[in-house]
Amino acid sequence: MTPLGEEELAGGIRQLIGEAEGSDPGPVSLSVVPGGASRETFGVEAGERRWVVRRDPVGAPDSFAPLELEFRVVGAAEAAGVRVPRPLAYEPAGGRLESAGFLMAYVPGISVAPRVLRRDELASARSALPAQLGEALARIHSIDGGEIDGVPASDTDPALAACALWEATLDEIGEPLPAVEAGLRWLRLNPPPAPVRESLVHGDFRLGNLIVDEDGLTAVIDWELCHSGDPAEDIGWLCVRSWRFGNDDLPVAGVGSLGQLLDAYERAGGERPEPERIRWWEAMGNVKWAVICARQAHDHLTGVRPSAELASLGRRICEPEWDLLELMPAASSQGAEGDRWSEPEARTRPGAAGCEEGRG
Amino acid sequence: MQDRPTAPELLDAMAADLYSEVREWVPRERRFRVLVLANLCAVIARELRAGEEPSRQDLALFASLNGSPADDAGEAARELAAKIRNGDLDDRLPEVIAGLREHVERKLEVARPGYATSAGAA
Repeated sequence: MTPLGEEELAGGIRQLIGEAEGSDPGPVSLSVVPGGASRETFGVEAGERRWVVRRDPVGAPDSFAPLELEFRVVGAAEAAGVRVPRPLAYEPAGGRLESAGFLMAYVPGISVAPRVLRRDELASARSALPAQLGEALARIHSIDGGEIDGVPASDTDPALAACALWEATLDEIGEPLPAVEAGLRWLRLNPPPAPVRESLVHGDFRLGNLIVDEDGLTAVIDWELCHSGDPAEDIGWLCVRSWRFGNDDLPVAGVGSLGQLLDAYERAGGERPEPERIRWWEAMGNVKWAVICARQAHDHLTGVRPSAELASLGRRICEPEWDLLELMPAASSQGAEGDRWSEPEARTRPGAAGCEEGRG
Repeated sequence: MQDRPTAPELLDAMAADLYSEVREWVPRERRFRVLVLANLCAVIARELRAGEEPSRQDLALFASLNGSPADDAGEAARELAAKIRNGDLDDRLPEVIAGLREHVERKLEVARPGYATSAGAA
Protein backbone atom coordinates (compact mmCIF):
# COMPACT_ATOMS: atom_id res chain seq x y z
CA MET A 1 0.00 0.00 0.00
CA THR A 2 2.85 2.37 0.79
CA PRO A 3 6.66 2.40 0.77
CA LEU A 4 6.39 2.90 4.53
CA GLY A 5 4.77 -0.53 4.80
CA GLU A 6 1.31 -1.13 6.15
CA GLU A 7 2.57 -2.36 9.49
CA GLU A 8 4.75 0.70 10.05
CA LEU A 9 1.94 3.02 9.02
CA ALA A 10 -0.47 1.26 11.38
CA GLY A 11 2.12 1.56 14.17
CA GLY A 12 2.51 5.28 13.51
CA ILE A 13 -1.25 5.80 13.53
CA ARG A 14 -1.52 3.89 16.80
CA GLN A 15 1.03 6.29 18.31
CA LEU A 16 -0.85 9.31 16.95
CA ILE A 17 -4.10 8.08 18.45
CA GLY A 18 -2.34 7.41 21.75
CA GLU A 19 -1.04 10.98 21.84
CA ALA A 20 -4.34 12.55 20.79
CA GLU A 21 -6.52 10.51 23.14
CA GLY A 22 -4.07 10.14 26.00
CA SER A 23 -4.17 6.34 25.98
CA ASP A 24 -2.85 3.59 23.75
CA PRO A 25 -5.70 2.18 21.63
CA GLY A 26 -3.88 -1.12 21.15
CA PRO A 27 -3.07 -2.57 17.73
CA VAL A 28 -4.98 -0.89 14.89
CA SER A 29 -6.03 -2.24 11.51
CA LEU A 30 -6.27 -0.08 8.39
CA SER A 31 -8.61 -0.17 5.42
CA VAL A 32 -8.44 2.03 2.36
CA VAL A 33 -11.60 4.07 1.87
CA PRO A 34 -12.10 4.27 -1.89
CA GLY A 35 -13.30 7.55 -3.28
CA GLY A 36 -10.78 10.30 -2.78
CA ALA A 37 -9.38 11.35 -6.13
CA SER A 38 -6.67 13.62 -4.76
CA ARG A 39 -6.30 12.60 -1.11
CA GLU A 40 -6.02 9.18 0.52
CA THR A 41 -8.39 8.17 3.27
CA PHE A 42 -7.95 5.22 5.64
CA GLY A 43 -10.42 3.75 8.06
CA VAL A 44 -8.69 2.86 11.33
CA GLU A 45 -10.06 0.27 13.78
CA ALA A 46 -9.03 -0.90 17.21
CA GLY A 47 -11.65 -3.24 18.62
CA GLU A 48 -14.91 -1.34 18.70
CA ARG A 49 -13.27 2.05 18.24
CA ARG A 50 -12.81 3.75 14.91
CA TRP A 51 -10.99 6.74 13.46
CA VAL A 52 -10.17 8.14 10.03
CA VAL A 53 -6.82 9.22 8.62
CA ARG A 54 -6.58 11.49 5.64
CA ARG A 55 -3.27 12.16 3.94
CA ASP A 56 -1.70 13.33 0.68
CA PRO A 57 -0.97 10.50 -1.74
CA VAL A 58 2.69 9.62 -1.33
CA GLY A 59 4.74 11.20 -4.11
CA ALA A 60 1.80 13.09 -5.62
CA PRO A 61 2.06 16.74 -6.64
CA ASP A 62 0.89 19.43 -4.24
CA SER A 63 -2.84 19.59 -3.72
CA PHE A 64 -5.00 22.70 -3.68
CA ALA A 65 -4.74 23.47 0.02
CA PRO A 66 -2.17 21.86 2.29
CA LEU A 67 -3.55 19.28 4.69
CA GLU A 68 -2.33 21.34 7.63
CA LEU A 69 -4.62 24.15 6.52
CA GLU A 70 -7.48 21.70 6.09
CA PHE A 71 -6.88 20.55 9.67
CA ARG A 72 -7.12 24.14 10.94
CA VAL A 73 -10.19 24.97 8.85
CA VAL A 74 -12.08 21.91 10.07
CA GLY A 75 -11.32 23.05 13.62
CA ALA A 76 -12.69 26.52 12.87
CA ALA A 77 -15.78 25.01 11.28
CA GLU A 78 -16.41 22.88 14.35
CA ALA A 79 -16.12 25.99 16.53
CA ALA A 80 -18.69 27.74 14.30
CA GLY A 81 -21.20 24.94 14.86
CA VAL A 82 -20.70 23.05 11.60
CA ARG A 83 -20.97 19.29 11.98
CA VAL A 84 -17.54 17.89 11.08
CA PRO A 85 -15.46 14.87 12.05
CA ARG A 86 -13.51 16.21 15.04
CA PRO A 87 -9.89 16.85 13.96
CA LEU A 88 -7.53 15.10 16.44
CA ALA A 89 -3.90 15.40 15.29
CA TYR A 90 -1.90 16.72 12.36
CA GLU A 91 1.30 15.04 11.18
CA PRO A 92 3.59 16.80 8.69
CA ALA A 93 5.16 15.16 5.63
CA GLY A 94 8.05 12.87 6.52
CA GLY A 95 6.37 11.92 9.80
CA ARG A 96 4.45 8.87 10.87
CA LEU A 97 1.96 9.11 8.00
CA GLU A 98 4.81 9.43 5.44
CA SER A 99 3.05 12.24 3.55
CA ALA A 100 1.24 15.07 5.34
CA GLY A 101 -2.00 13.96 6.95
CA PHE A 102 -4.29 14.15 9.91
CA LEU A 103 -6.24 11.97 12.27
CA MET A 104 -9.92 12.63 12.88
CA ALA A 105 -12.89 11.12 14.62
CA TYR A 106 -14.98 8.58 12.71
CA VAL A 107 -18.50 9.65 11.72
CA PRO A 108 -20.81 6.86 10.57
CA GLY A 109 -22.96 7.38 7.49
CA ILE A 110 -22.86 7.50 3.72
CA SER A 111 -21.06 9.95 1.47
CA VAL A 112 -21.87 8.38 -1.89
CA ALA A 113 -24.40 10.69 -3.51
CA PRO A 114 -26.32 8.14 -5.64
CA ARG A 115 -26.85 5.97 -2.56
CA VAL A 116 -28.05 8.95 -0.54
CA LEU A 117 -30.46 9.76 -3.36
CA ARG A 118 -31.82 6.23 -3.88
CA ARG A 119 -31.79 4.21 -0.66
CA ASP A 120 -35.21 3.66 0.90
CA GLU A 121 -33.94 3.95 4.46
CA LEU A 122 -32.67 7.47 3.71
CA ALA A 123 -36.04 8.88 2.59
CA SER A 124 -36.50 11.02 5.70
CA ALA A 125 -32.86 12.12 5.50
CA ARG A 126 -33.58 13.40 1.99
CA SER A 127 -36.50 15.50 3.16
CA ALA A 128 -34.42 16.94 6.01
CA LEU A 129 -31.34 17.63 3.87
CA PRO A 130 -32.30 20.83 1.99
CA ALA A 131 -32.79 22.76 5.24
CA GLN A 132 -29.82 21.08 6.93
CA LEU A 133 -27.58 22.01 4.00
CA GLY A 134 -28.79 25.62 4.14
CA GLU A 135 -28.04 25.78 7.85
CA ALA A 136 -24.59 24.20 7.46
CA LEU A 137 -23.71 26.64 4.68
CA ALA A 138 -24.84 29.62 6.75
CA ARG A 139 -22.55 28.50 9.58
CA ILE A 140 -19.60 27.94 7.24
CA HIS A 141 -20.21 31.36 5.74
CA SER A 142 -20.30 32.96 9.19
CA ILE A 143 -16.55 32.28 9.33
CA ASP A 144 -14.21 35.01 8.12
CA GLY A 145 -11.73 33.09 5.97
CA GLY A 146 -9.23 35.89 6.38
CA GLU A 147 -8.98 35.11 10.10
CA ILE A 148 -7.65 31.60 9.50
CA ASP A 149 -3.95 31.64 8.73
CA GLY A 150 -3.24 30.30 5.25
CA VAL A 151 -6.74 30.30 3.76
CA PRO A 152 -6.30 31.23 0.09
CA ALA A 153 -7.79 34.61 -0.70
CA SER A 154 -7.80 36.58 -3.91
CA ASP A 155 -6.72 40.19 -4.07
CA THR A 156 -9.32 40.86 -6.75
CA ASP A 157 -13.05 40.35 -6.99
CA PRO A 158 -13.85 36.66 -6.30
CA ALA A 159 -15.82 36.28 -9.55
CA LEU A 160 -12.97 37.56 -11.69
CA ALA A 161 -10.49 35.60 -9.60
CA ALA A 162 -12.45 32.43 -10.42
CA CYS A 163 -12.34 33.30 -14.14
CA ALA A 164 -8.57 33.78 -13.92
CA LEU A 165 -8.05 30.58 -11.93
CA TRP A 166 -9.85 28.33 -14.40
CA GLU A 167 -8.34 30.07 -17.42
CA ALA A 168 -4.89 29.45 -15.96
CA THR A 169 -5.75 25.83 -15.19
CA LEU A 170 -6.98 25.33 -18.76
CA ASP A 171 -3.67 26.73 -20.00
CA GLU A 172 -1.74 24.31 -17.79
CA ILE A 173 -3.69 21.37 -19.20
CA GLY A 174 -3.18 22.60 -22.75
CA GLU A 175 -6.20 20.88 -24.33
CA PRO A 176 -8.49 23.31 -26.17
CA LEU A 177 -12.08 23.39 -24.82
CA PRO A 178 -13.83 26.08 -26.87
CA ALA A 179 -17.23 25.55 -25.20
CA VAL A 180 -15.71 26.12 -21.76
CA GLU A 181 -13.89 29.15 -23.13
CA ALA A 182 -17.12 30.62 -24.50
CA GLY A 183 -18.88 30.16 -21.17
CA LEU A 184 -15.92 31.60 -19.28
CA ARG A 185 -15.80 34.56 -21.62
CA TRP A 186 -19.46 35.32 -21.01
CA LEU A 187 -18.96 34.97 -17.25
CA ARG A 188 -15.95 37.29 -17.38
CA LEU A 189 -17.95 39.91 -19.28
CA ASN A 190 -20.98 39.64 -16.96
CA PRO A 191 -19.74 39.20 -13.38
CA PRO A 192 -22.02 39.87 -10.41
CA PRO A 193 -21.18 42.93 -8.31
CA ALA A 194 -18.57 42.29 -5.61
CA PRO A 195 -20.19 40.47 -2.66
CA VAL A 196 -21.15 42.57 0.35
CA ARG A 197 -18.96 40.36 2.50
CA GLU A 198 -16.42 37.69 1.69
CA SER A 199 -16.41 34.57 3.85
CA LEU A 200 -14.90 31.14 4.16
CA VAL A 201 -16.09 29.07 1.20
CA HIS A 202 -15.99 25.26 1.46
CA GLY A 203 -15.27 25.00 -2.26
CA ASP A 204 -16.68 21.51 -2.85
CA PHE A 205 -19.97 21.39 -0.97
CA ARG A 206 -22.06 18.54 -2.46
CA LEU A 207 -23.41 15.18 -1.29
CA GLY A 208 -20.16 13.39 -2.16
CA ASN A 209 -18.43 15.46 0.49
CA LEU A 210 -21.10 15.18 3.17
CA ILE A 211 -21.81 12.29 5.50
CA VAL A 212 -25.48 11.42 5.79
CA ASP A 213 -27.34 8.97 8.04
CA GLU A 214 -31.05 8.20 8.51
CA ASP A 215 -31.61 11.61 10.12
CA GLY A 216 -29.72 13.57 7.48
CA LEU A 217 -26.45 15.50 7.59
CA THR A 218 -23.91 14.31 10.15
CA ALA A 219 -20.66 15.81 8.87
CA VAL A 220 -19.15 18.10 6.24
CA ILE A 221 -15.88 16.61 4.98
CA ASP A 222 -13.20 17.14 2.29
CA TRP A 223 -12.27 20.76 2.87
CA GLU A 224 -9.32 20.72 0.48
CA LEU A 225 -10.76 23.36 -1.86
CA CYS A 226 -11.66 25.85 0.88
CA HIS A 227 -10.81 29.48 0.33
CA SER A 228 -12.02 32.97 1.08
CA GLY A 229 -14.61 34.25 -1.39
CA ASP A 230 -18.23 34.88 -2.33
CA PRO A 231 -20.57 32.74 -0.18
CA ALA A 232 -22.84 32.31 -3.23
CA GLU A 233 -20.09 30.18 -4.78
CA ASP A 234 -20.95 27.23 -2.49
CA ILE A 235 -24.66 27.61 -3.25
CA GLY A 236 -24.18 27.74 -7.01
CA TRP A 237 -21.85 24.72 -6.90
CA LEU A 238 -24.42 22.74 -4.91
CA CYS A 239 -26.93 23.41 -7.72
CA VAL A 240 -24.68 22.09 -10.52
CA ARG A 241 -26.65 19.47 -12.43
CA SER A 242 -23.90 16.84 -12.18
CA TRP A 243 -24.50 16.70 -8.40
CA ARG A 244 -28.19 15.86 -8.88
CA PHE A 245 -27.28 12.39 -10.20
CA GLY A 246 -30.37 12.18 -12.38
CA ASN A 247 -32.81 13.96 -10.00
CA ASP A 248 -32.75 16.89 -12.40
CA ASP A 249 -35.98 18.41 -11.09
CA LEU A 250 -34.40 19.00 -7.65
CA PRO A 251 -31.73 21.67 -8.16
CA VAL A 252 -30.18 21.41 -4.70
CA ALA A 253 -28.04 18.26 -4.87
CA GLY A 254 -30.99 16.24 -6.20
CA VAL A 255 -32.83 16.56 -2.87
CA GLY A 256 -34.63 19.89 -2.82
CA SER A 257 -35.48 23.30 -4.18
CA LEU A 258 -33.35 26.40 -3.96
CA GLY A 259 -36.12 28.08 -1.95
CA GLN A 260 -35.94 25.38 0.75
CA LEU A 261 -32.18 25.78 0.97
CA LEU A 262 -32.21 29.58 1.07
CA ASP A 263 -35.02 29.83 3.63
CA ALA A 264 -32.99 27.70 6.03
CA TYR A 265 -29.83 29.62 5.11
CA GLU A 266 -31.50 32.88 6.08
CA ARG A 267 -33.00 31.44 9.27
CA ALA A 268 -29.48 30.38 10.32
CA GLY A 269 -28.17 33.90 9.80
CA GLY A 270 -26.99 33.74 6.20
CA GLU A 271 -27.62 36.63 3.86
CA ARG A 272 -29.80 35.50 0.96
CA PRO A 273 -27.86 36.10 -2.27
CA GLU A 274 -29.58 37.46 -5.37
CA PRO A 275 -30.74 34.77 -7.82
CA GLU A 276 -28.47 36.14 -10.59
CA ARG A 277 -25.46 35.76 -8.34
CA ILE A 278 -26.28 32.12 -7.57
CA ARG A 279 -26.89 31.52 -11.24
CA TRP A 280 -23.50 33.01 -12.14
CA TRP A 281 -21.78 30.71 -9.66
CA GLU A 282 -23.76 27.71 -10.88
CA ALA A 283 -22.45 28.42 -14.39
CA MET A 284 -18.95 28.93 -12.99
CA GLY A 285 -19.40 25.62 -11.14
CA ASN A 286 -19.91 23.93 -14.49
CA VAL A 287 -16.72 25.58 -15.77
CA LYS A 288 -14.92 24.26 -12.72
CA TRP A 289 -16.24 20.71 -13.06
CA ALA A 290 -15.44 20.62 -16.79
CA VAL A 291 -11.88 21.81 -16.11
CA ILE A 292 -11.43 19.36 -13.23
CA CYS A 293 -12.57 16.51 -15.51
CA ALA A 294 -10.05 17.66 -18.12
CA ARG A 295 -7.32 17.93 -15.55
CA GLN A 296 -7.95 14.48 -14.10
CA ALA A 297 -7.93 12.94 -17.58
CA HIS A 298 -4.70 14.86 -18.18
CA ASP A 299 -3.19 13.43 -14.96
CA HIS A 300 -3.81 10.00 -16.43
CA LEU A 301 -2.35 10.91 -19.81
CA THR A 302 0.82 12.39 -18.35
CA GLY A 303 1.32 9.38 -16.10
CA VAL A 304 0.94 11.39 -12.89
CA ARG A 305 -1.89 9.09 -11.82
CA PRO A 306 -2.52 6.36 -14.40
CA SER A 307 -6.14 5.27 -13.99
CA ALA A 308 -8.96 4.27 -16.31
CA GLU A 309 -11.35 6.04 -13.95
CA LEU A 310 -9.52 9.36 -14.36
CA ALA A 311 -9.14 8.74 -18.10
CA SER A 312 -12.90 8.24 -18.41
CA LEU A 313 -13.51 11.76 -17.09
CA GLY A 314 -12.22 13.07 -20.42
CA ARG A 315 -15.47 11.83 -21.94
CA ARG A 316 -17.54 13.55 -19.24
CA ILE A 317 -16.27 17.09 -19.91
CA CYS A 318 -19.16 17.55 -22.33
CA GLU A 319 -21.79 17.16 -19.56
CA PRO A 320 -20.89 20.32 -17.60
CA GLU A 321 -20.11 22.00 -20.93
CA TRP A 322 -23.71 21.43 -21.97
CA ASP A 323 -25.09 22.67 -18.66
CA LEU A 324 -22.80 25.70 -18.79
CA LEU A 325 -24.06 26.74 -22.20
CA GLU A 326 -27.65 26.01 -21.13
CA LEU A 327 -27.15 28.53 -18.32
CA MET A 328 -26.07 31.21 -20.78
CA PRO A 329 -28.93 33.55 -21.60
CA ALA A 330 -30.69 32.82 -24.87
CA ALA A 331 -29.09 34.66 -27.77
CA SER A 332 -32.23 36.74 -28.26
CA SER A 333 -32.03 38.29 -24.80
CA GLN A 334 -28.32 39.12 -24.98
CA GLY A 335 -27.62 42.52 -23.62
CA ALA A 336 -31.17 43.06 -22.41
CA GLU A 337 -30.45 44.25 -18.91
CA GLY A 338 -32.55 42.62 -16.22
CA ASP A 339 -33.48 39.78 -18.51
CA ARG A 340 -30.17 38.02 -18.25
CA TRP A 341 -30.90 35.50 -15.57
CA SER A 342 -33.75 33.70 -13.98
CA GLU A 343 -34.05 31.57 -10.87
CA PRO A 344 -32.17 28.24 -11.11
CA GLU A 345 -34.81 25.95 -12.41
CA ALA A 346 -35.81 22.41 -12.04
CA ARG A 347 -35.13 20.65 -15.29
CA THR A 348 -37.26 17.80 -16.31
CA ARG A 349 -35.05 15.59 -18.32
CA PRO A 350 -34.67 11.86 -18.47
CA GLY A 351 -31.74 10.62 -16.40
CA ALA A 352 -29.16 8.88 -18.54
CA ALA A 353 -28.25 5.33 -17.74
CA GLY A 354 -24.76 4.20 -16.96
CA CYS A 355 -23.20 7.07 -15.10
CA GLU A 356 -25.74 7.56 -12.36
CA GLU A 357 -24.40 4.90 -10.08
CA GLY A 358 -21.20 6.91 -10.11
CA ARG A 359 -19.48 7.96 -6.98
CA GLY A 360 -20.74 11.14 -5.49
CA MET B 1 -9.88 -6.93 -42.46
CA GLN B 2 -10.71 -8.69 -39.22
CA ASP B 3 -13.46 -11.24 -38.91
CA ARG B 4 -16.64 -10.43 -37.07
CA PRO B 5 -17.43 -9.41 -34.38
CA THR B 6 -16.48 -5.91 -35.38
CA ALA B 7 -14.73 -3.69 -32.86
CA PRO B 8 -17.99 -2.05 -31.68
CA GLU B 9 -19.65 -5.47 -31.43
CA LEU B 10 -16.80 -6.71 -29.25
CA LEU B 11 -17.09 -3.64 -27.05
CA ASP B 12 -20.85 -4.21 -26.72
CA ALA B 13 -20.12 -7.75 -25.55
CA MET B 14 -17.53 -6.51 -23.05
CA ALA B 15 -19.89 -3.87 -21.70
CA ALA B 16 -22.72 -6.38 -21.32
CA ASP B 17 -20.47 -8.84 -19.50
CA LEU B 18 -19.08 -6.19 -17.16
CA TYR B 19 -22.51 -4.73 -16.40
CA SER B 20 -24.20 -8.06 -15.74
CA GLU B 21 -21.83 -10.69 -14.38
CA VAL B 22 -18.46 -9.18 -13.53
CA ARG B 23 -20.13 -6.48 -11.48
CA GLU B 24 -21.62 -9.14 -9.20
CA TRP B 25 -18.22 -10.72 -8.53
CA VAL B 26 -16.71 -7.48 -7.27
CA PRO B 27 -17.14 -6.31 -3.66
CA ARG B 28 -19.91 -3.77 -3.42
CA GLU B 29 -17.67 -0.84 -2.49
CA ARG B 30 -15.54 -1.45 -5.60
CA ARG B 31 -18.31 -1.91 -8.15
CA PHE B 32 -18.10 1.67 -9.25
CA ARG B 33 -14.84 0.80 -11.05
CA VAL B 34 -16.55 -1.94 -13.03
CA LEU B 35 -19.32 0.45 -14.03
CA VAL B 36 -16.73 2.98 -15.18
CA LEU B 37 -15.08 0.35 -17.40
CA ALA B 38 -18.41 -0.92 -18.73
CA ASN B 39 -19.52 2.60 -19.50
CA LEU B 40 -16.24 3.31 -21.30
CA CYS B 41 -16.76 0.25 -23.51
CA ALA B 42 -20.22 1.56 -24.41
CA VAL B 43 -18.83 5.03 -25.12
CA ILE B 44 -16.08 3.71 -27.38
CA ALA B 45 -18.56 1.49 -29.25
CA ARG B 46 -20.75 4.54 -29.96
CA GLU B 47 -17.69 6.57 -30.94
CA LEU B 48 -16.59 3.93 -33.46
CA ARG B 49 -20.10 3.66 -34.91
CA ALA B 50 -20.39 7.44 -35.28
CA GLY B 51 -17.27 7.40 -37.45
CA GLU B 52 -15.59 10.56 -38.73
CA GLU B 53 -18.76 12.55 -39.36
CA PRO B 54 -18.96 14.35 -35.96
CA SER B 55 -15.33 15.48 -36.28
CA ARG B 56 -15.98 16.69 -39.83
CA GLN B 57 -18.95 18.72 -38.59
CA ASP B 58 -16.85 20.16 -35.76
CA LEU B 59 -14.08 21.09 -38.18
CA ALA B 60 -16.57 22.92 -40.40
CA LEU B 61 -18.11 24.68 -37.39
CA PHE B 62 -14.79 25.77 -35.91
CA ALA B 63 -13.47 26.95 -39.28
CA SER B 64 -16.63 28.97 -39.85
CA LEU B 65 -16.49 30.59 -36.39
CA ASN B 66 -12.78 31.28 -36.84
CA GLY B 67 -13.40 32.71 -40.30
CA SER B 68 -10.44 30.73 -41.63
CA PRO B 69 -10.25 27.34 -43.35
CA ALA B 70 -8.62 24.46 -41.47
CA ASP B 71 -7.99 20.80 -42.07
CA ASP B 72 -7.57 19.55 -38.51
CA ALA B 73 -10.40 19.80 -35.97
CA GLY B 74 -7.99 19.85 -33.02
CA GLU B 75 -5.99 22.73 -34.45
CA ALA B 76 -9.15 24.63 -35.36
CA ALA B 77 -10.46 24.10 -31.81
CA ARG B 78 -7.21 25.49 -30.43
CA GLU B 79 -7.48 28.57 -32.65
CA LEU B 80 -11.12 29.10 -31.68
CA ALA B 81 -10.39 28.69 -27.96
CA ALA B 82 -7.64 31.32 -28.19
CA LYS B 83 -9.83 33.74 -30.14
CA ILE B 84 -12.64 33.46 -27.60
CA ARG B 85 -10.20 33.96 -24.73
CA ASN B 86 -8.68 37.04 -26.37
CA GLY B 87 -12.09 38.63 -26.84
CA ASP B 88 -11.78 38.54 -30.65
CA LEU B 89 -15.30 37.09 -30.89
CA ASP B 90 -17.00 39.16 -28.18
CA ASP B 91 -19.34 40.88 -30.62
CA ARG B 92 -20.48 37.45 -31.94
CA LEU B 93 -20.58 35.60 -28.60
CA PRO B 94 -24.26 34.52 -28.88
CA GLU B 95 -23.54 33.01 -32.29
CA VAL B 96 -20.39 31.31 -30.97
CA ILE B 97 -22.31 29.88 -28.00
CA ALA B 98 -25.11 28.63 -30.24
CA GLY B 99 -22.59 26.93 -32.54
CA LEU B 100 -20.70 25.37 -29.67
CA ARG B 101 -23.94 23.98 -28.27
CA GLU B 102 -24.11 21.82 -31.42
CA HIS B 103 -20.49 20.77 -30.92
CA VAL B 104 -21.19 19.74 -27.31
CA GLU B 105 -24.36 17.95 -28.35
CA ARG B 106 -22.33 15.88 -30.81
CA LYS B 107 -19.93 14.91 -28.03
CA LEU B 108 -22.84 13.99 -25.77
CA GLU B 109 -24.40 11.75 -28.41
CA VAL B 110 -21.31 9.57 -28.05
CA ALA B 111 -20.46 10.09 -24.39
CA ARG B 112 -23.90 10.24 -22.79
CA PRO B 113 -26.92 9.97 -25.05
CA GLY B 114 -30.03 11.62 -23.63
CA TYR B 115 -28.16 14.18 -21.53
CA ALA B 116 -28.89 17.02 -23.91
CA THR B 117 -32.53 17.60 -24.65
CA SER B 118 -34.37 20.15 -26.70
CA ALA B 119 -35.14 22.11 -23.49
CA GLY B 120 -33.95 25.60 -24.33
CA ALA B 121 -31.72 27.88 -22.33
CA ALA B 122 -33.26 28.87 -19.04
